Amino acid sequence: MAKSASDSKQKTEILTINQRRWRKFKSLKRGYVSLWILAVSYTLSMFLPLLVSNKALYVNYNGNSYFPAVRDLLDLPVIGALGGSNFISGETLGQQGNAAECNYRQLQKQYEQENAGNTVIMPLYPYSSNEDISSGIGEQAEIVEQFAAPFESKNGSVPRLLGTDDRGRDVFSRLTYGFQISMSFALLVAFLEYLIGIPIGAIMGYFGRGFDLMMQRFMEIWGSLPYLFLIIIIASLITPNFILLVGLVTIFAWMGPAAQMRSQVYREKTRDYVAAAISIGVPTRKILLKHILPNSLVPIITFLPFAIVSGIGALVSLDFLGFGLPPTTASWGEMVGVGLAYVTDGYWWLVLVPLGAMFTTLILVVFIGEGVREAFDPKVFSRLR
Amino acid sequence: MFDYFIRRLLLTIPTFIGCTIVVFTIVTLAPGGPLEQQIQALKKGGGETGGGGGLAGEQTLPPQALEDLKEFYGFDKPIWKQYIIWLGVWQRDAESFKVELNKRRLVGGGHSLMLTNDFKIVDADNPSEIAKDWKWEEAAPDAQGNKRYRIYRTEFSGVLTGNFGKSYKYPGKTVMELIVDRMPISTQFGIVGLILSYTLCVYLGIQKALRHNSVFDFVSSTLVFVAYSIPGWAFGAVLLVILCTQTFFPILPLGGFESIDYSDLPFFDKIWDRVIHFVLPLTAYTLGGFASLTMLMKNSLLDNLSQDYIRTAFAKGIREQRVIWLHAMRNSIIPIVTNIGYLIGVFVAGSYLIERVFNIDGIGKLTFDSAVARDYPIVFAFTVISVIITLMGSIISDLILSLTDPRIRFK
Repeated sequence: MAKSASDSKQKTEILTINQRRWRKFKSLKRGYVSLWILAVSYTLSMFLPLLVSNKALYVNYNGNSYFPAVRDLLDLPVIGALGGSNFISGETLGQQGNAAECNYRQLQKQYEQENAGNTVIMPLYPYSSNEDISSGIGEQAEIVEQFAAPFESKNGSVPRLLGTDDRGRDVFSRLTYGFQISMSFALLVAFLEYLIGIPIGAIMGYFGRGFDLMMQRFMEIWGSLPYLFLIIIIASLITPNFILLVGLVTIFAWMGPAAQMRSQVYREKTRDYVAAAISIGVPTRKILLKHILPNSLVPIITFLPFAIVSGIGALVSLDFLGFGLPPTTASWGEMVGVGLAYVTDGYWWLVLVPLGAMFTTLILVVFIGEGVREAFDPKVFSRLR
Repeated sequence: MFDYFIRRLLLTIPTFIGCTIVVFTIVTLAPGGPLEQQIQALKKGGGETGGGGGLAGEQTLPPQALEDLKEFYGFDKPIWKQYIIWLGVWQRDAESFKVELNKRRLVGGGHSLMLTNDFKIVDADNPSEIAKDWKWEEAAPDAQGNKRYRIYRTEFSGVLTGNFGKSYKYPGKTVMELIVDRMPISTQFGIVGLILSYTLCVYLGIQKALRHNSVFDFVSSTLVFVAYSIPGWAFGAVLLVILCTQTFFPILPLGGFESIDYSDLPFFDKIWDRVIHFVLPLTAYTLGGFASLTMLMKNSLLDNLSQDYIRTAFAKGIREQRVIWLHAMRNSIIPIVTNIGYLIGVFVAGSYLIERVFNIDGIGKLTFDSAVARDYPIVFAFTVISVIITLMGSIISDLILSLTDPRIRFK
């Protein structure tokens, strides 16, 4: 397996089980490549304000330097909601009569025409996810076209890679920001549901009896609640934001890992090594944490990618129904909702683009999941013939 | 064993009660319910008819009207009482009228009743006959200050007696009628989807197990995992754009359950019309359960094929076909069969997401709309139905499991 050059190394190389799993996972190319693609895209998406934005990376105006995009980045919490402190008016940078937010795309053209040594460097893709026909009023307004087709370019501006939607918002830009939000959402939900589910499941499985019975009933009740109704009702009381939605989905999602953990611990605690540990007087806490937990975590970890899949699915569904993130947030579900409203008008990209992005992401995650499962649980079936 | 199932059945009672209490409490306590909506509507109406006083501030309802509204929705009682009335273990007012002494009052069934001076409720046309079911109590005086009494008749009627109440949003319809109206749609999708997915998944699972690690297995695994990861409604939306809009291949109708001129079509066209409307939503419905069922079948058969009794069967010289289909299959099908308990769900199956994408007026849409419009009786009815289906489904599944597999002993 290990192609180490020297013989001596081969002798000393004793792999722990986790190293062996990692090697096995690496050998399954599909999952490994998927992991790389997703990891790189998600890391890049953290820097979206520098890559996909209508704010300039760098402006040099009359000898002064400005970094509007960097300000945006520092202002960007996980959610992608924009703060207020990153405002630079157009007049500050020489756009006459524009007291509103500076339009950097126009500023770039203006500087080029003036040729006075001022420079603007725009991000790779100079459109933001939330600019629509309503932004840029007055003389500085550009023509923002609704329903622009993919690759369509108006009067020499940078072409819209994936077109625009009903309000002239850029689809590609929304797509990228939507990716970041979906992934952050799913990762956070998965993390929290494990954080809650694993200890509860472990305690249920290890101590059993009253607590177990009580929690089982509780989970049964909690699990049969019509959770979409409850979210609809809660959403009508408070406008849901990122954190609230994470909470809402988590309080229903933790039961999966808890039930799994419970049955695992239940099985493990009857094993001989636990009996041995008890008989030599190892404290309960230590038995649970050091002996049982590592042994019962395997099926739970292999379930993680699928938890992420359902997290993304949940967010997209809720957004599609209109009970998800606030309307200013770029989200795939909302994009699909808009697209389906115009389904008869031939604006196919409004539906296919966000769903395509979602499918790609989900499939990558599932491939990772398949690889992880294979690596953790190399079941060898042998049969005659 | 018998004890076990009795115990399971008994345990469903606290679960049922717990679940309905939670939903009942949250939904009833949440602001913006039907009472508030009514008040808002009345205020608006009052403001318009009042006219002129555009900035006169908030119109207040007369306390009398508010009282009546509360009584109409049953919100005049404490929440625990509302709950047990809804459940049907406490008497609810079947009829209730405000009357003055010695005045006739027309009640249901063409009778007229009257409250006499000595506080007896009698038939107005035949004062010697006392109406036994009716009771009376003092009520708030009317606007002129006349003393009034409330006469009422009570009955036990609630969820336990099969009465889910009346819808607020669709006047004159009981919740049961609304649900039954939409049941055919759900049932059709549910049953066809079930048969289809079981047939395909079992077949595919067997083939995958027999050709484990072949190219076919690899490719179909990928497809199955892709199908698993994609939500059914989303895949449906993609198919809708590709197969139903003018942009690509417009070969299927754009949503709906049947054509507008459906009733005028000849018989065979009717069937065809149904089929072409049916294909895409059905695909969307079926997609979700596809992966788990296929993989369950495959792994279960693989597990059995590596068992010693199969080796023995081969060693005895039994033909491969016979070993697989008679020996291995009988044991491998057990985990598949256990899912059948949830079959009872097909009659009210419905996904609002799919129904919204394909514009179908099914059960999912009804529930979603009623949750948005706070049509409480429908929301509660669906809570009850879904809870019962989940609980019963798991019990039936276990029962079937214990019947098919004699090794399993529940304790």
